Amino acid sequence: MVPVSEFGVDAVIVSRRDLLKAGVGAAALATIPRPLLAYFDTGPEPVPPIGDGRIKELAFRAVEAALAVGASYVDVRLTHTRTRNFMYSFVENTRDSEELTVGVRTLVDGYWGFASGHSWSTDEVVRLGREAVYHARVNSLGRERRVELAERPVVVDVHWETPVEIDPFEVSPFEIVDFFRGLEYYTARDPEFKLEGQGAQFEVKEQAFACSDGTYITQRLYGSSGSYTLTYRPEPRVSIGWQLAGLTRASVGWELYKGQPLREQIDRLREEMREFWKLPIKPVEVGRYDVVCDALSVARLIDGTLANATELDRALGYEANADGTSYLNDPFGMIGSHVVGAPALTITANRSEPGGAATVRWDDEGVEPDEFTIVKDGVLTDFQTTRESASWLAEHYRAKGVPVRSHGCAAAEAGIHAPIQRRPNLVVAPGKGEVGFSDLIAGLSDGIAVEAMGVDIDFQGLNGFGGGDRVYEVKGGKRVARIVGAGFLFRAPELWKNLKALGGPNSVERFGLQTVKGQPMQTAFHSVTAPPALFTGVTVVDALRKA
Amino acid sequence: MSSKMTARAMGPGMTKDSDDRRLLSREECESILERAHRFARSGGETRIGIFTWWQGELRWGRNRVTLSSDRRNVMLGLERSVPDGRTSAGRITTNQFDDVSLEAAVRGAERISRLAADPGWGLGDYPPLPVYPPHKGAPVWSDATYDLSVEARSEIVRSIIEMVEAEGMLSVGYLEVRAAASLAKGTELPELRTTDYSMWDSEYQRWTNAQLSMTVRDPAGTGSGWAGLSSYDWGRIDPEAIARRAIEKCLASRNPVALEPGRYTVILEPQAVAELVSVMLDTMSNREPPENSAMSDSPWYLGVDEHLMLHRSKLGLKIVDERITISHDPADPLLGLPLRSIEYPGPVTWIDRGVLTNLGHEFATDVKALEGRHTLRGPVMAFRMSGGDASIEEMIATTKRGLLVTRFSNIRTLDRKSLLATGLTRDGVWLIENGKITKAVKNFRFTESPLFALNNIEQLGEPVPVFRAMPIPFVSAMPAIVPALKVRDFSFTSLIDAV
Repeated sequence: MVPVSEFGVDAVIVSRRDLLKAGVGAAALATIPRPLLAYFDTGPEPVPPIGDGRIKELAFRAVEAALAVGASYVDVRLTHTRTRNFMYSFVENTRDSEELTVGVRTLVDGYWGFASGHSWSTDEVVRLGREAVYHARVNSLGRERRVELAERPVVVDVHWETPVEIDPFEVSPFEIVDFFRGLEYYTARDPEFKLEGQGAQFEVKEQAFACSDGTYITQRLYGSSGSYTLTYRPEPRVSIGWQLAGLTRASVGWELYKGQPLREQIDRLREEMREFWKLPIKPVEVGRYDVVCDALSVARLIDGTLANATELDRALGYEANADGTSYLNDPFGMIGSHVVGAPALTITANRSEPGGAATVRWDDEGVEPDEFTIVKDGVLTDFQTTRESASWLAEHYRAKGVPVRSHGCAAAEAGIHAPIQRRPNLVVAPGKGEVGFSDLIAGLSDGIAVEAMGVDIDFQGLNGFGGGDRVYEVKGGKRVARIVGAGFLFRAPELWKNLKALGGPNSVERFGLQTVKGQPMQTAFHSVTAPPALFTGVTVVDALRKA
Repeated sequence: MSSKMTARAMGPGMTKDSDDRRLLSREECESILERAHRFARSGGETRIGIFTWWQGELRWGRNRVTLSSDRRNVMLGLERSVPDGRTSAGRITTNQFDDVSLEAAVRGAERISRLAADPGWGLGDYPPLPVYPPHKGAPVWSDATYDLSVEARSEIVRSIIEMVEAEGMLSVGYLEVRAAASLAKGTELPELRTTDYSMWDSEYQRWTNAQLSMTVRDPAGTGSGWAGLSSYDWGRIDPEAIARRAIEKCLASRNPVALEPGRYTVILEPQAVAELVSVMLDTMSNREPPENSAMSDSPWYLGVDEHLMLHRSKLGLKIVDERITISHDPADPLLGLPLRSIEYPGPVTWIDRGVLTNLGHEFATDVKALEGRHTLRGPVMAFRMSGGDASIEEMIATTKRGLLVTRFSNIRTLDRKSLLATGLTRDGVWLIENGKITKAVKNFRFTESPLFALNNIEQLGEPVPVFRAMPIPFVSAMPAIVPALKVRDFSFTSLIDAV
């Protein structure tokens, strides 16, 4: 048994006051390395930073073991993930987790096998390499299957880190908790308001990727997010909750919170919520309307429809037993020609925008993602791809004279999971001029405006049902009433074809969204940047009304 | 083919050992917890729990296997609150259990505990809960599941794919076998167990879970059928029957016609009933603490009795048709659940012949308010719903005009108090006219409450196990036995043309 003092911390006795008095940065307390162990040939050692050469050796042991038993392709992911959650309920506390996992994926005769576990040791990675091949081989006895992996350059010994201003794990948890307590007290100055919510989450994932073609890549990726709701109780038995903006998932550090004028936002929201409450209530009137949607609503509409429908594996039916398929049900026939929306609609994708929730330097197949266009001037131009699925579009790409390459959408939640195609960051091109949400409303003589629409979409990304509490009647360019119980019924092709106007470049906002996919299920994050928009001919119904 | 597969489940370079190393044994778990507890000797309360899990997975799409996997992990959760008895626990999760990592985890939890504010309760605030002897209910472990080899899974899916290809259709599906075990060790001195019951001991338990689900799609894109089943015991899953069902539904669902939305008599297959009823059962997990009752949007909150100044719930009131009883008996062979030592191991009835009899428990409320009526069980995980003896064929034959629904998808609660929910039909809807299925019908969005549906029952079928998959490996299965139901005036509010 190892005595406590060897680790230099007498944690039971040290109190926070003592730390502050001693001037020992509380940050130091937070940076004492968590000595999870890796089992290199030299014996167990605290897990080194991901750039350590011994991790590379370990990864290639797995590759060798798999090649030795007949794999034609192997890739390996070792991940070391740390998360810190500040849970906000009536008591603040934190939940910390730290995990080491490793996964090996192999290809034999067109069949994939995968094995993963939790020990960074030679014995284990060799076992995984053999087990993965075993799985692939057993299934390759079935019908013939061809897998072609779109080419990518071999990259060796490269390293990338998400550029963050303030590493959240270098910040003392005391400081972080004080920050949130400060916001709570600030909000509570006005007794009708309260700050509530789920809290803040920080994640750092160090990962190593090795491949049988010699590629070796290491990355250190950060993700931060939070969910806080400002609750307004103007009267007993009435409670209105609006989310604080700007705290959705992003690949940034503690600056997600520190860098934002949250007190100013709280002040502004308090005013807006009071205005909202003062508006007369109007019951919903069923009909077709011109509707102005804020940036968040547009982001959710895009994500549920086109982002969903342009995942190529989904469009070909591979997720039909899980979340569903795509309304773009003939990808090979539709790509390059099918009109999916008004000419004002252009959507690009990337995994490179600074702070984007899906931003990486290399994806989980070693591909450097490129920026690509999914929809151009209303026409479907491309799909989201991995190395395998990109090759399904080879004919199309060759006919267009563009390289047959993966767009870099492969992602595995951690080493324990096999990589699958996930959404990249999406950007809806804004319109022209200084047009924002209020300007779009000002230009509307008769219609509806909606903020923070909740979007429910069917299993083909086709028919949707939107709703929410922040729905306004607009008359003569002004919000004159708030509408209760409104539901928006839409069908993706008609919705996007009826896009009449988009906010300008200064009106765009970015949101981090979470999706789940696959069997077994994995979660992933990506950003959607969108401006507010005006749609015509949107069907509005009474959401709570039965047939 | 370069190598022959033998009957044994071993591949090149593998030994029997690696197959047996899928879960940590009881001894291994006990040793880890003992070592971890040794680092938490300075008083306070500590609970350490281990989950060890393994999954064998086989996924396929477009009639070809897309991935076969073996995944294993361990989760060690540590909660520790430091010795003054009035701070919240710090929680650390890790998946490494060598001495160095364990000690770091304990220290980390202590640090975190110091961050927490006074929760308002502590030593002496909780009356003792009974601790039940180790529970021996219905089996939750099956060797058939644990021993389903890579070859066997592959063979099963190959046969399924052949059946589908013979009909010219496309199949996509997922087969998973899983085993997990858990052990938790709490504070040594029972008198000092002052925080919520999550800090208590639980025996080493292991369980298995198996699932098979598949979707068959018409290449022309007009039809889709689904079938699936889950159970702790792979032996209770019939892959051929599932494949046959999914194929038949796909073939019969092609070229659907559009029908007007409106109120219809519906025959809901058991899968659809389970999905609808879950909307209701999910709200029965936590009783609102009385202090919050004024704001309560719980469907079971009745109001304030102003004379007695008591908050009243709907306990004791009839809420659904008297032919409905929803209960769980952990000794029921189909409904085995691993239970914790403080969970009541006997049968619990939530709805008894239509009357609301029990609600799930909020720890603080339960202990203070339900003395003598204590049937602490966590969320409504597993349940048996009563039925009747009408077969689906009989229900169809006695329907003048109605719809037959396979299952629902994307269900969301619109109004918590009335349980009004919305969702979509999926993978097969058919029109019934004058006692016969006449046409395949396009999918609908429904806007309906399970409370309304369960008060408008015309016929009940025989309860059968349904597909209930937990996506998280270390949570046990949630088996449910559910009947088909014929319900009148079910509200479909719009047409959706998604397939």
